[in-house]
Amino acid sequence: MTVLEKGLITIPAFNEAETIGDVVRGILGENLGCDIVVVDDGSSDKTAQVLGSLPVIVLSHPVNLGYGAAVQTGMMYAVRNGYDFLVLMDADGQHISSQVGLLLEELRRGNDIVIGSRLSGDSGSYRIPFLRMAGIRFFSFLAWVLGGVRIRDVTSGFQAMRREVFTVLSREYPVDFPDAEVVVMLGLRKFKVAEVPVAVRERQGGESMYSKFGTVLYYPFKSVLSSFIVLLRMLREK
Amino acid sequence: MSLHAKLMITLLLAGNAILVIELLRRKRFSESYTLLWLSVLSLTLVATWWGGFHAALAYFFGAIAPVSTLTLLSLVFILGMLIFFSMKVSRLDAQVKELAQELALRTSSSPGELRTPRPR
Repeated sequence: MTVLEKGLITIPAFNEAETIGDVVRGILGENLGCDIVVVDDGSSDKTAQVLGSLPVIVLSHPVNLGYGAAVQTGMMYAVRNGYDFLVLMDADGQHISSQVGLLLEELRRGNDIVIGSRLSGDSGSYRIPFLRMAGIRFFSFLAWVLGGVRIRDVTSGFQAMRREVFTVLSREYPVDFPDAEVVVMLGLRKFKVAEVPVAVRERQGGESMYSKFGTVLYYPFKSVLSSFIVLLRMLREK
Repeated sequence: MSLHAKLMITLLLAGNAILVIELLRRKRFSESYTLLWLSVLSLTLVATWWGGFHAALAYFFGAIAPVSTLTLLSLVFILGMLIFFSMKVSRLDAQVKELAQELALRTSSSPGELRTPRPR
Protein backbone atom coordinates (compact mmCIF):
# COMPACT_ATOMS: atom_id res chain seq x y z
CA MET A 1 0.00 0.00 0.00
CA THR A 2 1.38 3.41 -0.98
CA VAL A 3 2.29 6.12 1.52
CA LEU A 4 0.00 9.12 1.12
CA GLU A 5 2.48 11.94 0.55
CA LYS A 6 1.97 13.48 -2.85
CA GLY A 7 -1.63 14.40 -3.54
CA LEU A 8 -3.56 15.82 -6.45
CA ILE A 9 -6.96 17.46 -6.38
CA THR A 10 -8.72 16.96 -9.69
CA ILE A 11 -11.58 19.20 -10.78
CA PRO A 12 -13.33 18.46 -14.07
CA ALA A 13 -14.91 21.65 -15.42
CA PHE A 14 -17.27 22.32 -18.29
CA ASN A 15 -18.60 25.88 -18.60
CA GLU A 16 -17.98 26.66 -14.93
CA ALA A 17 -16.57 30.19 -15.28
CA GLU A 18 -19.00 31.44 -12.60
CA THR A 19 -17.80 29.08 -9.89
CA ILE A 20 -14.38 27.61 -10.68
CA GLY A 21 -12.48 30.63 -9.27
CA ASP A 22 -14.14 30.38 -5.87
CA VAL A 23 -13.76 26.59 -5.79
CA VAL A 24 -10.00 26.80 -6.43
CA ARG A 25 -9.51 29.67 -3.98
CA GLY A 26 -11.43 27.69 -1.37
CA ILE A 27 -9.10 24.70 -1.79
CA LEU A 28 -5.99 26.90 -1.71
CA GLY A 29 -7.25 28.42 1.53
CA GLU A 30 -7.26 24.99 3.19
CA ASN A 31 -3.48 24.55 2.72
CA LEU A 32 -3.85 20.85 2.00
CA GLY A 33 -0.39 20.59 0.44
CA CYS A 34 -1.82 19.06 -2.73
CA ASP A 35 -1.43 20.16 -6.32
CA ILE A 36 -4.62 21.16 -8.10
CA VAL A 37 -5.39 20.16 -11.65
CA VAL A 38 -8.44 21.50 -13.46
CA VAL A 39 -9.52 19.61 -16.56
CA ASP A 40 -11.27 22.10 -18.82
CA ASP A 41 -13.55 19.84 -20.85
CA GLY A 42 -13.85 22.01 -23.95
CA SER A 43 -15.68 24.86 -22.22
CA SER A 44 -17.19 27.50 -24.47
CA ASP A 45 -17.57 30.15 -21.74
CA LYS A 46 -14.77 32.02 -19.94
CA THR A 47 -13.59 29.04 -17.86
CA ALA A 48 -10.19 29.04 -19.63
CA GLN A 49 -9.65 32.76 -18.94
CA VAL A 50 -10.61 32.38 -15.27
CA LEU A 51 -8.19 29.45 -14.93
CA GLY A 52 -5.44 31.53 -16.53
CA SER A 53 -5.26 33.72 -13.42
CA LEU A 54 -5.16 30.84 -10.93
CA PRO A 55 -2.16 28.87 -9.62
CA VAL A 56 -3.37 25.51 -10.91
CA ILE A 57 -2.35 23.00 -13.55
CA VAL A 58 -4.76 23.21 -16.48
CA LEU A 59 -5.47 20.33 -18.86
CA SER A 60 -7.60 21.48 -21.77
CA HIS A 61 -9.63 19.11 -23.88
CA PRO A 62 -9.89 20.56 -27.40
CA VAL A 63 -13.51 19.37 -27.56
CA ASN A 64 -16.13 18.45 -24.98
CA LEU A 65 -15.67 14.75 -24.17
CA GLY A 66 -17.89 14.33 -21.14
CA TYR A 67 -17.51 14.33 -17.35
CA GLY A 68 -16.06 10.83 -17.14
CA ALA A 69 -13.42 11.54 -19.78
CA ALA A 70 -12.39 14.70 -17.92
CA VAL A 71 -12.03 12.76 -14.68
CA GLN A 72 -10.02 10.09 -16.52
CA THR A 73 -7.66 12.72 -17.97
CA GLY A 74 -7.02 13.95 -14.42
CA MET A 75 -6.28 10.38 -13.34
CA MET A 76 -3.92 9.85 -16.27
CA TYR A 77 -2.06 13.00 -15.24
CA ALA A 78 -1.83 11.71 -11.67
CA VAL A 79 -0.47 8.33 -12.82
CA ARG A 80 2.15 9.89 -15.12
CA ASN A 81 3.33 12.34 -12.48
CA GLY A 82 3.63 9.87 -9.61
CA TYR A 83 0.92 11.07 -7.24
CA ASP A 84 0.06 8.85 -4.26
CA PHE A 85 -3.52 9.91 -3.86
CA LEU A 86 -6.16 11.81 -5.77
CA VAL A 87 -9.18 13.78 -4.63
CA LEU A 88 -12.08 14.37 -7.00
CA MET A 89 -14.17 17.51 -6.56
CA ASP A 90 -16.89 19.15 -8.64
CA ALA A 91 -16.36 22.58 -10.17
CA ASP A 92 -19.87 23.80 -9.37
CA GLY A 93 -19.12 24.67 -5.75
CA GLN A 94 -21.25 21.87 -4.25
CA HIS A 95 -18.31 20.22 -2.52
CA ILE A 96 -16.86 22.09 0.42
CA SER A 97 -13.07 22.15 0.46
CA SER A 98 -12.86 21.95 4.26
CA GLN A 99 -14.38 18.46 3.99
CA VAL A 100 -11.46 17.06 1.98
CA GLY A 101 -9.67 16.31 5.26
CA LEU A 102 -12.49 13.92 6.26
CA LEU A 103 -11.96 11.87 3.12
CA LEU A 104 -8.18 11.80 3.55
CA GLU A 105 -8.50 10.72 7.18
CA GLU A 106 -10.55 7.72 6.10
CA LEU A 107 -8.09 6.99 3.29
CA ARG A 108 -5.23 6.91 5.81
CA ARG A 109 -7.15 4.31 7.80
CA GLY A 110 -6.38 1.81 5.04
CA ASN A 111 -9.28 2.27 2.65
CA ASP A 112 -8.54 2.33 -1.07
CA ILE A 113 -11.28 4.77 -2.04
CA VAL A 114 -13.47 6.98 0.12
CA ILE A 115 -16.72 8.47 -1.13
CA GLY A 116 -18.19 11.60 0.44
CA SER A 117 -21.81 10.72 1.09
CA ARG A 118 -24.66 13.20 1.00
CA LEU A 119 -26.96 10.68 2.64
CA SER A 120 -25.05 9.58 5.72
CA GLY A 121 -25.65 12.03 8.55
CA ASP A 122 -26.10 15.75 8.10
CA SER A 123 -25.50 16.80 4.50
CA GLY A 124 -25.85 20.50 5.26
CA SER A 125 -28.20 22.75 3.32
CA TYR A 126 -28.32 20.48 0.25
CA ARG A 127 -31.63 18.80 -0.47
CA ILE A 128 -31.73 15.98 -3.01
CA PRO A 129 -34.82 16.03 -5.27
CA PHE A 130 -37.13 13.00 -4.87
CA LEU A 131 -36.43 11.38 -8.26
CA ARG A 132 -32.68 11.71 -7.88
CA MET A 133 -32.89 10.31 -4.35
CA ALA A 134 -34.82 7.30 -5.67
CA GLY A 135 -32.14 6.84 -8.34
CA ILE A 136 -29.32 7.04 -5.81
CA ARG A 137 -30.97 4.42 -3.60
CA PHE A 138 -31.59 2.11 -6.54
CA PHE A 139 -28.03 2.35 -7.88
CA SER A 140 -26.54 1.95 -4.41
CA PHE A 141 -28.61 -1.24 -4.09
CA LEU A 142 -27.39 -2.37 -7.53
CA ALA A 143 -23.75 -1.75 -6.52
CA TRP A 144 -24.33 -3.87 -3.42
CA VAL A 145 -25.96 -6.74 -5.32
CA LEU A 146 -23.49 -6.82 -8.23
CA GLY A 147 -20.28 -5.58 -6.64
CA GLY A 148 -20.78 -6.41 -2.97
CA VAL A 149 -20.12 -2.79 -1.97
CA ARG A 150 -22.48 -1.51 0.68
CA ILE A 151 -22.52 2.28 0.52
CA ARG A 152 -25.44 4.68 0.41
CA ASP A 153 -24.37 7.29 -2.14
CA VAL A 154 -22.74 5.75 -5.21
CA THR A 155 -23.42 8.83 -7.32
CA SER A 156 -21.29 11.24 -5.29
CA GLY A 157 -18.47 12.86 -7.24
CA PHE A 158 -16.63 13.82 -4.04
CA GLN A 159 -14.04 11.06 -3.69
CA ALA A 160 -10.51 10.37 -2.53
CA MET A 161 -8.55 7.38 -3.77
CA ARG A 162 -5.17 5.72 -3.58
CA ARG A 163 -2.77 5.30 -6.49
CA GLU A 164 -3.74 1.64 -6.91
CA VAL A 165 -7.32 2.69 -7.59
CA PHE A 166 -6.77 5.60 -9.95
CA THR A 167 -4.19 3.59 -11.88
CA VAL A 168 -6.89 1.03 -12.68
CA LEU A 169 -9.51 3.70 -13.38
CA SER A 170 -7.20 5.72 -15.62
CA ARG A 171 -7.22 2.77 -18.02
CA GLU A 172 -10.93 2.06 -17.89
CA TYR A 173 -13.42 4.75 -17.00
CA PRO A 174 -16.86 5.52 -18.43
CA VAL A 175 -17.20 8.66 -20.53
CA ASP A 176 -20.50 9.68 -18.99
CA PHE A 177 -22.23 9.09 -15.65
CA PRO A 178 -19.42 7.18 -13.94
CA ASP A 179 -21.48 6.12 -10.93
CA ALA A 180 -22.71 2.63 -10.07
CA GLU A 181 -20.61 0.77 -12.64
CA VAL A 182 -17.37 2.20 -11.22
CA VAL A 183 -18.32 1.12 -7.70
CA VAL A 184 -19.32 -2.33 -9.01
CA MET A 185 -15.96 -2.64 -10.77
CA LEU A 186 -14.01 -1.57 -7.68
CA GLY A 187 -16.00 -3.99 -5.53
CA LEU A 188 -15.33 -6.89 -7.90
CA ARG A 189 -11.63 -6.00 -7.93
CA LYS A 190 -11.69 -6.27 -4.12
CA PHE A 191 -10.77 -2.66 -3.40
CA LYS A 192 -11.79 -1.37 0.02
CA VAL A 193 -14.53 1.18 -0.61
CA ALA A 194 -15.62 3.37 2.30
CA GLU A 195 -17.99 6.25 2.72
CA VAL A 196 -17.96 9.25 5.04
CA PRO A 197 -20.74 11.73 5.63
CA VAL A 198 -19.98 15.13 4.17
CA ALA A 199 -21.83 18.43 4.03
CA VAL A 200 -22.56 19.76 0.56
CA ARG A 201 -24.05 22.99 -0.79
CA GLU A 202 -26.51 23.71 -3.54
CA ARG A 203 -24.62 24.16 -6.80
CA GLN A 204 -23.34 27.72 -7.06
CA GLY A 205 -23.74 28.07 -10.82
CA GLY A 206 -23.65 26.29 -14.17
CA GLU A 207 -25.87 23.42 -15.21
CA SER A 208 -25.95 19.88 -13.83
CA MET A 209 -25.20 17.09 -16.32
CA TYR A 210 -28.18 15.25 -14.82
CA SER A 211 -30.60 18.03 -15.77
CA LYS A 212 -30.12 17.76 -19.52
CA PHE A 213 -33.01 16.70 -21.74
CA GLY A 214 -33.06 12.96 -22.29
CA THR A 215 -30.87 12.18 -19.29
CA VAL A 216 -33.86 10.99 -17.26
CA LEU A 217 -34.35 8.16 -19.76
CA TYR A 218 -30.75 7.54 -20.78
CA TYR A 219 -29.05 7.61 -17.37
CA PRO A 220 -30.90 4.74 -15.64
CA PHE A 221 -30.73 2.55 -18.74
CA LYS A 222 -27.04 3.24 -19.30
CA SER A 223 -26.08 2.73 -15.65
CA VAL A 224 -27.93 -0.57 -15.27
CA LEU A 225 -26.57 -1.90 -18.57
CA SER A 226 -23.01 -0.80 -17.82
CA SER A 227 -23.09 -2.31 -14.33
CA PHE A 228 -24.09 -5.69 -15.73
CA ILE A 229 -21.49 -5.42 -18.51
CA VAL A 230 -18.80 -4.73 -15.89
CA LEU A 231 -19.90 -7.89 -14.08
CA LEU A 232 -19.78 -9.92 -17.32
CA ARG A 233 -16.32 -8.59 -18.20
CA MET A 234 -14.98 -9.43 -14.75
CA LEU A 235 -16.43 -12.94 -14.92
CA ARG A 236 -14.80 -13.41 -18.31
CA GLU A 237 -11.45 -12.15 -17.00
CA LYS A 238 -11.59 -14.79 -14.25
CA MET B 1 -38.86 -10.21 -63.53
CA SER B 2 -39.50 -8.39 -66.82
CA LEU B 3 -36.69 -7.22 -69.07
CA HIS B 4 -37.83 -3.62 -68.52
CA ALA B 5 -37.46 -4.01 -64.72
CA LYS B 6 -34.05 -5.65 -65.13
CA LEU B 7 -32.85 -2.79 -67.35
CA MET B 8 -34.14 -0.15 -64.90
CA ILE B 9 -32.39 -1.86 -61.96
CA THR B 10 -29.19 -2.11 -64.00
CA LEU B 11 -29.37 1.61 -64.77
CA LEU B 12 -29.87 2.46 -61.09
CA LEU B 13 -26.96 0.22 -60.06
CA ALA B 14 -24.73 1.80 -62.73
CA GLY B 15 -25.70 5.25 -61.42
CA ASN B 16 -24.78 4.18 -57.91
CA ALA B 17 -21.46 2.73 -59.07
CA ILE B 18 -20.60 6.04 -60.81
CA LEU B 19 -21.55 7.95 -57.64
CA VAL B 20 -19.32 5.73 -55.47
CA ILE B 21 -16.34 6.12 -57.84
CA GLU B 22 -16.90 9.89 -58.04
CA LEU B 23 -16.94 10.08 -54.23
CA LEU B 24 -13.64 8.19 -54.14
CA ARG B 25 -12.19 10.61 -56.71
CA ARG B 26 -13.26 13.57 -54.56
CA LYS B 27 -11.71 11.86 -51.50
CA ARG B 28 -15.05 11.63 -49.70
CA PHE B 29 -14.77 7.81 -49.58
CA SER B 30 -11.85 5.58 -48.71
CA GLU B 31 -10.83 2.76 -51.06
CA SER B 32 -12.05 0.10 -48.63
CA TYR B 33 -15.61 1.48 -48.58
CA THR B 34 -15.59 1.91 -52.36
CA LEU B 35 -14.69 -1.77 -52.75
CA LEU B 36 -17.41 -2.73 -50.29
CA TRP B 37 -20.10 -0.80 -52.16
CA LEU B 38 -18.93 -1.94 -55.59
CA SER B 39 -19.09 -5.56 -54.37
CA VAL B 40 -22.63 -5.02 -53.08
CA LEU B 41 -23.68 -3.42 -56.40
CA SER B 42 -22.09 -6.26 -58.40
CA LEU B 43 -23.87 -8.90 -56.32
CA THR B 44 -27.18 -7.11 -56.80
CA LEU B 45 -26.53 -6.97 -60.55
CA VAL B 46 -25.84 -10.70 -60.67
CA ALA B 47 -28.99 -11.39 -58.63
CA THR B 48 -31.03 -9.24 -61.02
CA TRP B 49 -29.95 -11.02 -64.22
CA TRP B 50 -29.60 -14.57 -62.93
CA GLY B 51 -33.20 -15.76 -62.87
CA GLY B 52 -32.52 -19.02 -61.08
CA PHE B 53 -30.94 -17.14 -58.17
CA HIS B 54 -34.28 -15.74 -56.92
CA ALA B 55 -36.00 -19.08 -57.11
CA ALA B 56 -33.10 -20.84 -55.37
CA LEU B 57 -33.11 -18.27 -52.55
CA ALA B 58 -36.86 -18.50 -52.10
CA TYR B 59 -36.60 -22.30 -51.97
CA PHE B 60 -33.76 -22.11 -49.43
CA PHE B 61 -35.72 -19.78 -47.09
CA GLY B 62 -38.98 -21.64 -47.60
CA ALA B 63 -40.67 -18.52 -49.03
CA ILE B 64 -43.43 -18.64 -51.60
CA ALA B 65 -42.54 -15.46 -53.49
CA PRO B 66 -38.90 -14.69 -54.41
CA VAL B 67 -39.65 -10.98 -53.76
CA SER B 68 -40.25 -11.61 -50.01
CA THR B 69 -36.89 -13.38 -49.79
CA LEU B 70 -35.17 -10.43 -51.41
CA THR B 71 -36.93 -7.99 -49.04
CA LEU B 72 -35.83 -10.06 -46.04
CA LEU B 73 -32.25 -10.20 -47.30
CA SER B 74 -32.26 -6.45 -47.93
CA LEU B 75 -33.39 -5.82 -44.36
CA VAL B 76 -30.71 -8.15 -42.98
CA PHE B 77 -28.13 -6.37 -45.12
CA ILE B 78 -29.23 -2.91 -43.93
CA LEU B 79 -29.20 -4.09 -40.30
CA GLY B 80 -25.73 -5.54 -40.80
CA MET B 81 -24.48 -2.27 -42.27
CA LEU B 82 -25.97 -0.27 -39.39
CA ILE B 83 -24.28 -2.52 -36.82
CA PHE B 84 -21.01 -2.28 -38.74
CA PHE B 85 -21.16 1.52 -38.85
CA SER B 86 -22.18 1.73 -35.17
CA MET B 87 -19.03 -0.25 -34.36
CA LYS B 88 -16.98 2.06 -36.57
CA VAL B 89 -18.42 5.21 -34.97
CA SER B 90 -17.87 3.79 -31.47
CA ARG B 91 -14.25 3.01 -32.29
CA LEU B 92 -13.72 6.46 -33.79
CA ASP B 93 -15.33 7.99 -30.68
CA ALA B 94 -12.88 6.14 -28.46
CA GLN B 95 -9.95 7.19 -30.66
CA VAL B 96 -11.01 10.85 -30.64
CA LYS B 97 -11.31 10.70 -26.85
CA GLU B 98 -7.82 9.20 -26.50
CA LEU B 99 -6.32 11.77 -28.86
CA ALA B 100 -7.98 14.69 -27.09
CA GLN B 101 -6.85 13.39 -23.70
CA GLU B 102 -3.29 12.87 -24.92
CA LEU B 103 -3.27 16.38 -26.38
CA ALA B 104 -4.53 17.82 -23.09
CA LEU B 105 -1.83 15.97 -21.16
CA ARG B 106 0.95 17.02 -23.53
CA THR B 107 -0.06 20.68 -23.60
CA SER B 108 -0.83 21.03 -19.88
CA SER B 109 -0.03 24.42 -18.48
CA SER B 110 1.45 24.82 -15.03
CA PRO B 111 1.15 27.89 -12.77
CA GLY B 112 3.21 30.78 -14.06
CA GLU B 113 3.48 29.43 -17.59
CA LEU B 114 2.35 31.46 -20.55
CA ARG B 115 -0.66 29.58 -21.84
CA THR B 116 -0.98 29.02 -25.53
CA PRO B 117 -4.43 29.31 -27.12
CA ARG B 118 -6.47 26.13 -27.00
CA PRO B 119 -6.35 24.27 -30.33
CA ARG B 120 -9.65 24.31 -32.24
